[in-house]
Amino acid sequence: MSEGHGHHHPRPASAVELRARALEALLAERGLVSTDAIDAVVELYENDVGPQNGAKVVARAWLDEAYRERLLEDAVPAIAELGFGGAEGDNMVVVANTPTVHHMVVCTLCSCYPWPVLGLPPIWYKSPPYRARAVSEPRAVLREFGLELGDDVEIRVWDSSAEVRYLVLPMRPQGTDGWSEDELAAIVTRDCMIGTAAPTANQPAIR
Amino acid sequence: MSERPSDLATVDAALGAEAPLPRDNGELVFEEPWQGRALGMAVVALNRLGVPWADFRRHLANAIAARPTNRDDSPATAYYTAWLNALETLLAERGLID
Repeated sequence: MSEGHGHHHPRPASAVELRARALEALLAERGLVSTDAIDAVVELYENDVGPQNGAKVVARAWLDEAYRERLLEDAVPAIAELGFGGAEGDNMVVVANTPTVHHMVVCTLCSCYPWPVLGLPPIWYKSPPYRARAVSEPRAVLREFGLELGDDVEIRVWDSSAEVRYLVLPMRPQGTDGWSEDELAAIVTRDCMIGTAAPTANQPAIR
Repeated sequence: MSERPSDLATVDAALGAEAPLPRDNGELVFEEPWQGRALGMAVVALNRLGVPWADFRRHLANAIAARPTNRDDSPATAYYTAWLNALETLLAERGLID
């Protein structure tokens, strides 16, 4: 709801709003909808978007070298192969971690985020301290997230924007040989794909 | 008819790139509460009726195309007005409303 239309300043309902109410009343009368059922759907849709799509992309890239190459070359069509994507104009770029390079993503201006694959950004991603410190002292920030990187590992910080949104392809952890795509996807958490965590073979899936 | 209403990913996939739900950085945009309710009532009613999303998408695309372009409605208002038109057409087609 836009500012200035708070409940302290009621305004007359618009024609379309009245139509929406009338239709809901009619559908309720027919037993097709209930206020509670509608409320439940709206609440679910507003909150329940997770990083599972991104995890599937990562798992596929771990298992399929050709897919990995397509993903790193041109992420949007590769991600669309799995059925995920956003509105037109959302450009996503995938950056791959290696033993010597670790990527992490921030949006220094606001909270731009590759939502078609990661869902909604976590609170800390939007916080001014993360947005500033990810750039000025990334190694210290990662340490606070519990990710200790060796001095020989270069950290590259990517600044997402409305035009380009970055996704990190983490390294496949040891001890996952023979795992299925679903099993692999289950250990790829949201933070792994922002670059503030690394997946491990025994990590409990956080959903 | 399924037991539970479609989840958001299902709706997104069904609407495709043709008529995606209005969003801002991933969050659904509802400028006024009726827009959220319009979305919710379609999801609930389609589920109860067992109507495929493809049918709704067809009506929605038609309603968007039929909408006058000279109105100064915001994108979300225009979208959910078309959404409501589509739902009404679909229900009328099935004889559920006049």
